[in-house]
Amino acid sequence: MTAQRITRQGLLDWLNGVAAKATLIAPVRVEGIYLFRPIVKIEDIALDYSQSTVPPKEWLFPRSDTLFTIERLDRAYELKPPAAAGPRVLFGIRPCDARALAILDRLFLAEPADNLYEERRQNTVLVGLACARQQLPECFCTSLGGGPQEAANVDVLLAGAGEAYTVTVATEKGQQLLSGATLRDGGEMPPAPSLSNQVPTAGMAERLRLAFNSSYWQRLADRCLGCKMCTYLCPTCHCFDIRDCDVGGHAERVRCWDGCQSALFTKLAGGHNPRASKAARLRQFYAHKYLYFPERFGVTQCVGCGRCAHFCPVNIDIRETLRDLQTLEVCPHGSGETARRREPVGAAFGDSRASA
Amino acid sequence: MLDLTPDMKLFSLRLQDPAVAESLHYEVGQFALVSVFGVGEAAFDISSLDAPRAALEFAVRRVGTLTEALHEMEEGSVVGVRGPFGNCFPMAEYEGRNLVVIGGGSGMAPLRSVVNYVVQPARRERFGQLLILNGARTPADLAFKHEFEKWASSPQTCLELTVDRGDDDWRGRVALIPDVVRELKPSPLDCVAIVCGPPIMIKFTLKALKDLGFADSQLVGTVETKMKCGIGKCGRCNVGDKYVCLDGPVFTFAEIGRFLEEF
Repeated sequence: MTAQRITRQGLLDWLNGVAAKATLIAPVRVEGIYLFRPIVKIEDIALDYSQSTVPPKEWLFPRSDTLFTIERLDRAYELKPPAAAGPRVLFGIRPCDARALAILDRLFLAEPADNLYEERRQNTVLVGLACARQQLPECFCTSLGGGPQEAANVDVLLAGAGEAYTVTVATEKGQQLLSGATLRDGGEMPPAPSLSNQVPTAGMAERLRLAFNSSYWQRLADRCLGCKMCTYLCPTCHCFDIRDCDVGGHAERVRCWDGCQSALFTKLAGGHNPRASKAARLRQFYAHKYLYFPERFGVTQCVGCGRCAHFCPVNIDIRETLRDLQTLEVCPHGSGETARRREPVGAAFGDSRASA
Repeated sequence: MLDLTPDMKLFSLRLQDPAVAESLHYEVGQFALVSVFGVGEAAFDISSLDAPRAALEFAVRRVGTLTEALHEMEEGSVVGVRGPFGNCFPMAEYEGRNLVVIGGGSGMAPLRSVVNYVVQPARRERFGQLLILNGARTPADLAFKHEFEKWASSPQTCLELTVDRGDDDWRGRVALIPDVVRELKPSPLDCVAIVCGPPIMIKFTLKALKDLGFADSQLVGTVETKMKCGIGKCGRCNVGDKYVCLDGPVFTFAEIGRFLEEF
């Protein structure tokens, strides 16, 4: 890894060159929120953005993805795959969202690999933008081993703000992408911002096992609307549905984001639903991230981006849940009830954001 | 297409591409995803045995959108199939042992290939005694009647039928499966019991078998979950650290017992 620097104007010039050769996707402000969108004018890029509402995973795993189109022929069907995506540069991705893509890689690239994701991943270069400040009041990346200047999961990392950026080249792909850029030697990493949230995540897998049958989940579920916002905006949630859609004259097989918070998620055609209660579904959200996924893939399936807490309409806050799980007094496996709580569930029952 | 019960049909599929048909191999207990183009796709256990030029068979009960569309199709229609997926019944491990195969209703679908595997004359003597217990709500709901004679006439094989409600022509048992298990008292000695059916039937049947001395490791079943992708990505079939489509659908009840959640 080598560090160099680039001026703001140099960066914009370079991005103009990048956009001529690949689809440049970067954060822009759309109706009051930030989203990753293909860039037409370089000036549209929100270089000083905080955090995108929808994580950039949507460019590797779109919320609605056509697997193939179906044309009906005489006693046969013709299935056509979608046109392949060309080269893309995902610019301005935050270190937590980049880490999330590395987590999604573990799942989507595990054999048998998901070929659509794999193809897009290979055709995408990631340019990270380090956090100069805490981006959301609820974010806690450092509690999960990440950091506001982490360069491990991108090809190039830019750090800084205003007139100059420090450029860290992390991969060969990144080096190639920078070939046309006017770089100067001697870039220095700006001081890392201090982050206010420290959430205890160590030993969470075991805590979840212990609290598995706790009534805690029911109390949490009493607040939950089951809107699935947390799963849609999570940069590591990957569950999907597959359906055939009639699009006038022909059909398409489409996969679209789905989430474990939906009652229909596990319901079988015959009516049986093994995860019928909202409490069990909420538990699945946390257990999948902090217990099952680590058991299977070796990493926690959460990067601490804070979106699920920030956007939850009823203030269910993952930081609070993780703290509650650390302090819940629970009985050994399978014994059902939580013995006694030391602290009230969801201490900040009102507006948890105010305390952030 | 063959009517098995008033709401269950056996679909025989022939692959259009001879090269694919030639290279397709599957094990007892594996599943595949069947597509009705324009309607969707769903997972079904394969009910046939892998054999050269044999059709791929699925026993499908009419319960939802996709199965409804399948049932409405005409002979010779074109459907799609993806697979095979999942693990299988370890039939080689069962050789030399006695087998108890218990199916409730459409739960007999994945077990049909187990039974047909064991009763094949060339293979029959590799296994010990075979007890098949097939139960359904009514006599009409008993699936695979066209194979009962073949099953019952196989050496060292006993086919027991039971229904929840009889009719005027029914001379057989009217009893719940767990009660029949208690009555027949299969010995747990050197035996494996495979149980498939509705959750409530499984629950009480397992209890009856355990009362007879069966250990969880001798009890085998299939975990039926919603599945979309079949390759461990869509998350639908996630139970604990398992994806049923990759690690299942066949599990021992010792393994199922280690799931934190009841599935």
